[in-house]
Amino acid sequence: MQRAKFNIALLTIGMFVSVSCTEIVEIELDSTFKKLVVYGTITSDSLHHEVTLTSTTDYFYTETPPPVTDASVSITYEGTTIFLEESEQAGVYVAPEAFRGLPGTTYLLNIADVDIDEDGNTETYSASTRMPFIIEADSITLSRFVTPFFSAYQVALWSGDPEETNYYSYKLFRNGNPINERLADFIVQPDELYRNNYASGLPISFLTDDDEEEAVFPGDTVTVEINSITENYFNFITQAQSEIFGNNPLFSGPPANVSTNLDNNAVGSFTAYSIDRVSAIVPLPAFKK
Amino acid sequence: MSALRTILFITLLVTPLHIEAQKRVTVSGHVRDAETGEELIGASIAVKESGAGTIANQYGFYSISLTPGFYTLIYSYVGYTPVTRPLNFLEDAEVNIELTEAAQQLEEVVVTAEAANSNITSLETGATKLQISAIRKMPALLGEVDVIKAIQLLPGVQVTSEGSSGFSVRGGSPDQNLILLDEATVYNASHLLGFFSIFNNDAIKDVKLYKGDIPASAGGRLSSLLDVRMKDGNNKEIAGAGGIGTISSRMTLEGPLFNQKGSFLVSGRRTYADIFLPLARDTAIHDNSLYFYDLNGKLNYTLNENNRIFVSAYNGKDVFANDFAGMQFGNNTFTVRWNHLFSKKLFSNFTFVNSKYLYNLGTPDDAAPRFTWLSNLTDYGLKADFIYYPMPDHTFRFGLSSIYHDIAPGKIITQTGAEQNDTTSLASNLALESGAYLSGESRFGRSLSLRYGLRYSQFNNIGEATLYNYDDHYQVIDSTEYGKGEFFNMYNGLEPRLALNYTINDANSVKISYARTIQYMQMASNSSAGTPLDIWFPASPNIKPQLSNQLSAGYFKNFLDNKLETSAELYYKRMKRSIDFAEHAQLILNQYLEGEIRTGYATSYGAELFLRYTGKRFTGFASYTYSRTIRYFEEVNNGDPYPAPYDKPHDLALVASYDISDRVSLSANWIYSTGLPFTLPTGRYNIEGNLIPLYTGRNQYRLDDYHRLDFALNIQEKARSRRPWTGEWNFSVYNAYARKNPWTLNFVQDSEDPNLTYAEMTYLFSIIPAITYNFKF
Repeated sequence: MQRAKFNIALLTIGMFVSVSCTEIVEIELDSTFKKLVVYGTITSDSLHHEVTLTSTTDYFYTETPPPVTDASVSITYEGTTIFLEESEQAGVYVAPEAFRGLPGTTYLLNIADVDIDEDGNTETYSASTRMPFIIEADSITLSRFVTPFFSAYQVALWSGDPEETNYYSYKLFRNGNPINERLADFIVQPDELYRNNYASGLPISFLTDDDEEEAVFPGDTVTVEINSITENYFNFITQAQSEIFGNNPLFSGPPANVSTNLDNNAVGSFTAYSIDRVSAIVPLPAFKK
Repeated sequence: MSALRTILFITLLVTPLHIEAQKRVTVSGHVRDAETGEELIGASIAVKESGAGTIANQYGFYSISLTPGFYTLIYSYVGYTPVTRPLNFLEDAEVNIELTEAAQQLEEVVVTAEAANSNITSLETGATKLQISAIRKMPALLGEVDVIKAIQLLPGVQVTSEGSSGFSVRGGSPDQNLILLDEATVYNASHLLGFFSIFNNDAIKDVKLYKGDIPASAGGRLSSLLDVRMKDGNNKEIAGAGGIGTISSRMTLEGPLFNQKGSFLVSGRRTYADIFLPLARDTAIHDNSLYFYDLNGKLNYTLNENNRIFVSAYNGKDVFANDFAGMQFGNNTFTVRWNHLFSKKLFSNFTFVNSKYLYNLGTPDDAAPRFTWLSNLTDYGLKADFIYYPMPDHTFRFGLSSIYHDIAPGKIITQTGAEQNDTTSLASNLALESGAYLSGESRFGRSLSLRYGLRYSQFNNIGEATLYNYDDHYQVIDSTEYGKGEFFNMYNGLEPRLALNYTINDANSVKISYARTIQYMQMASNSSAGTPLDIWFPASPNIKPQLSNQLSAGYFKNFLDNKLETSAELYYKRMKRSIDFAEHAQLILNQYLEGEIRTGYATSYGAELFLRYTGKRFTGFASYTYSRTIRYFEEVNNGDPYPAPYDKPHDLALVASYDISDRVSLSANWIYSTGLPFTLPTGRYNIEGNLIPLYTGRNQYRLDDYHRLDFALNIQEKARSRRPWTGEWNFSVYNAYARKNPWTLNFVQDSEDPNLTYAEMTYLFSIIPAITYNFKF
């Protein structure tokens, strides 16, 4: 569905390329009060158990986002509470090394000792998330995809789909280096694409030859990290992406704030996801006879 | 209900039960164009002696009943030389009149007062008619003359987005306009994403927009009725017209059939940008398709003086396709009408309509994986309309209509491999929309006339259907199944319409009107420009019908012997159960669409000033509207009021045309409006390397004001005796001073420094010249 919309958008927007032009303009924007920004993840792996706290800024702010330091950050699950220590990087709070999340478990994030509105009184914030079950992928295939417009390797997934309704996100790696690290590049798919069927060769991404960041060659190893994500997180990513990509009078509704699972007027997301990985080596091209 | 009582009271009051038993004779007939035999819709027939009069109906028919005696009848129509018929009426008579177009060579203003002040005497407030010949002279984008683009220049009508065929009438949404082409509903009047409308000017006879006082015979939309009538075809001789333009060519052929008892018209238009694609340097696009076409056809046949049959059809389509994906969308309409005279005083028309809007898109047939997405909407309707002319001062109209709607919102076929072929369909929406109306027009003395009407409308949802039930947070709780053919939900309502004209004298009048309208079908469209993929959805147990009450009042004054018409109108409109959508709503291919809908109310008010000058060489109009439209939705924008997406307080259009010589005319438009409301961020935050905007209120900012100047130069070729056709060159320039009117505003993150952002404005058109050659034979 997303892909279909994307195709249409490409087609029709393509038509405008010849007539539409863009120009940088100066505009004045209003300010609003500061809010706490939370981005926290827990995984079924030994990595990525961290919570980043920053604050919102004016839209035309020119610096890196101001970190929120000296907060007290904890995660509670099944009667256990762990405390996250602020790392060397200001505003980034990490879980103890031994910690790893378990699918099916609900995690509650608590943030205290934060005074974002600078009124001298500290506020507390919380959010909860349940880690979805792992999807066990069988394999990925990489096939050559050549069109007059671009040439690429198409990455296709072969995988079962658990009974429960779930959502997926894919992180791609070339020889162990991440390809789509930025939020705008995240690939997410709703459950509807699987619909409890076996996904036999479900296309998940193209690695185009023209893009240095993602071009792969025979012999390279491509790894796909399949994240089984919550509906909340899926909505967070798709809404954030639609705001990042900007709007177009043909396809976008009115701009709107990205939803969040945090309370007390904070923005961002706290989520838990489970991880499975599959890899494949880019094959040598098949010669036409 | 009190409004209903008032209407009934007035109806009783004016119903001529007390009519004197005096003998009357009826004069009836048709008013036609002398050259082509086309009926002249709205031609006026005045009785000089009594000041009474009538207007030819949509089929050019008129009827007037008088006590026997000697009368002088004056037949007139704007742009035509009036005809005066002194006649001694002793018994019923059929008088068919042919009017001749006021020829250019005469160069004198031949329009008489009777016709020229029809803006003063007519009952209609907020109804504007544009002459097709005047529209033809206006400058147009790429030289494609377009009735909808001309309508958008009228007071009270706003363009929804640059270049769009969508329009907002007095604060209404584009889906609140009922667009009828020969009585068949047109669900998407746009080609090429709105830059052109589906109406091929060569095939259109008459266009009328009702924005305040919608006649009781029409219903189903809140804001306006755009009544478009196709030409019937020349019944005197074979004639043709055509044009070769910058992006399209047109050809129309018309002529008599069956010994002038009937006539036909066939008209086609096609764009040809894609014909040049094989010449492109980039071989990748050689096989691409990119075009639209329109085909209009009409036949009519007069069986005898009391019976006439019309068959009209329209088919149009847009096609885009490349190696990856293709898309087609278009409308079909088909209308069969039978005009029958039960007597000289009772005119009737029976209509069958079929209209269809469909689109499909997807990958090419040989693609793997293959993907196809289809959607369509089909209407079948029957209508019966009667006009009864008992006396010159009273005309009554009544009728019934019923339309069956079948909406298939979406079907997706995916073929991921030979072994997987998966079809997903959203369930069809079936509904029956019916109406019955009674209305009358009465004149009391020379100065007071009244139109009063009452429409009863009813809407039924029909099974087979699955109705999803939602909780307070719009989450689906459960669903209810309804069997095939089951009528499972009904809405109905009474829609009173009232208009009053007090004519102070020949040059001054005051008009007041009130209209209630109910809308049962709406479009799921969240974007400002609209797309061909927007689907229509019906009222249902979850979605109540929208309702609007509108009050308008106007003062009309003519100067300089009616050469200068002016009017000032005020309106106030309140729309109940208006529709907006949840934030980040998913409107297409969503079986839970109803869960994305939010309802509230909206108010719109405005003042509209109109000034039209019709001189010997110079003609033109100025229209200015000040209006505001505010929405009040509890669940949108934190419950705070916000401007509707088309709220543009100031809207001005200046349209002028000057005949430099008999053969050369120059015309210009200048358009100015306040920028569209826009939502801009007031803050931002960074997540995983990207900046996410933070908003505090919807539509709190505005894009820069819109303004644009267009020119057109028309040069008629000298008539050459040897050549069987006459030609005309049209040179036009759109956006003459290359104003960069913002289409949208976006924010871009700097690629080097991710903490820097810029505001980037997108504009669509710079200066666009075009040449068109039109010919007639």
